[in-house]
Parts: sequence; C-alpha cells; structure tokens
Amino acid sequence: MGEVALLDRRAIRVHEQASDQQMAIRLCGQVLVDIGAVDPPYIQAMLEREKSISTYLGEGVAIPHGTTAGKDAVRRDALAVLKFPDGVDWDGGRVTVCIAIAARGDGHIAILTELAQILSDPAQAQALRQATTADDIIHLLQPESEQKESA
Amino acid sequence: MPQRTVIIGSSQGLHARPAKLLVEAAARQPVQVLLSIGDGRPVRADSMLSVLSLGAVAGSTVTLHAEDADGAERALEELATLIAADLDAPDPAVPGATDA
Repeated sequence: MGEVALLDRRAIRVHEQASDQQMAIRLCGQVLVDIGAVDPPYIQAMLEREKSISTYLGEGVAIPHGTTAGKDAVRRDALAVLKFPDGVDWDGGRVTVCIAIAARGDGHIAILTELAQILSDPAQAQALRQATTADDIIHLLQPESEQKESA
Repeated sequence: MPQRTVIIGSSQGLHARPAKLLVEAAARQPVQVLLSIGDGRPVRADSMLSVLSLGAVAGSTVTLHAEDADGAERALEELATLIAADLDAPDPAVPGATDA
C-alpha cells in the first residue's frame, strides 16, 4: 500500500507561511480537520507530541502527528503536505516541508517507514523540497510500482 | 567488522523516542555504527531517516555493525543495551530520556 492513497489532493498546500513551529503545526492540523480526517482536538495532540519529542526527520522535512492519546480524534488515516518555501525554524533545523500524519492504531508507523525510505534518497528529498505543484508531490510520494500499475 | 545482534525492547519499535535516543547515542560514539534488519542493507544508526526507514517493530532482531576501530566494542555495548531496553517508558534512569 502506498501512502499516496492517503494523500488527498485537497490536503496539499504548496505555499504556506508560518512564523514559528507551533503555527506551522496548527496549519497542518487545520488541513487534516478541513478534509475531515480528524476532529479539532487532534491539533492539540499534535502540539503535545511535538513538545515531548520533535518530529523533525532531516532533509528539511518534519512529520507532525498526534500523541497516542489523540488517536480518538482521528476519523480516518490521512496525510497532508504543507510546503513552507521561506522555511520554519524547527528546534534549530530548517523545515520547508511538513508531512502531517493522521493515523489510528499503529498505522502511522508503516506510513513513516515508507516516507523515510523515500526521503533516504537525497535526490528524492531534494525533489520534494523543490516541488511546486500538487501533482509533483503526489508523484514523488507514489512508489514506482504503483505508478506502473496505475499507468 | 565487530557486530552485535539484539532484540528491540521498546513496544513502539524503533520509532519516536526510542529512535531518537538511539540516533543521539550513535552520534556520540567515536566510531561509525550501522544498523540492519535480516538480510537488509545496513544503514547509519546516527540518522533519524535511516533508522526510521528500517521499519523496525517491537521484538524484531537488529544487527549493529561498528567500524573496526578503538571504542567499537564499547559503542556496540552501549547501543545494544539501549535497543534492548523499553525506551517508551519515560525513565529518568535512561540518560536523555527526559530530554524534550
């Protein structure tokens, strides 16, 4: 299963701005609320998760998601991708791409593993940082095998 | 290359706090340490992305590979102990566990 199935085109924003990490997380959470994937309390759970341990992944990418306690607010597993071209300070790192995760159960772990595998390729990570359209982002996060199947 | 095999003790596997603690501890070692699962390609233990890309769940067996140099055995010992522990339980006895 590719995480692209979880990525709704409406959940991709390529030109966001946030003055700080908290604002970026709120924006991410709001997109998940807007697409009906989570209830509003999930945003607080995302802020708490970030406070207890940073979700900075490396390569300019952070993956905000809720705490275990916040899972009750998740209606369905989903991703949101928000790009911050000006960058957001993330505990000393500079984040330009947020991939917000909503997942019940342990679903986020499989999603995370797949994202980490994609981003472990520096060329793919760079392409994600430079992507300017929703199509580019969907293409990048879609594993090759699935692209062939859907072609 | 000195190696050590260890079973993951954290209930979340190598994710979130357990992964972060491992990456930080690996970065402090004087030698380069790699981590692999099964026949998989070894990845850097001091990179969050690499460690997460393993998808290591609780109870799976991982192998630590240290660069053959001074401090290798000690590095393997420290990291193996960390991986075998239940790092999900916030425990003040674990160095760094209370770090935000």
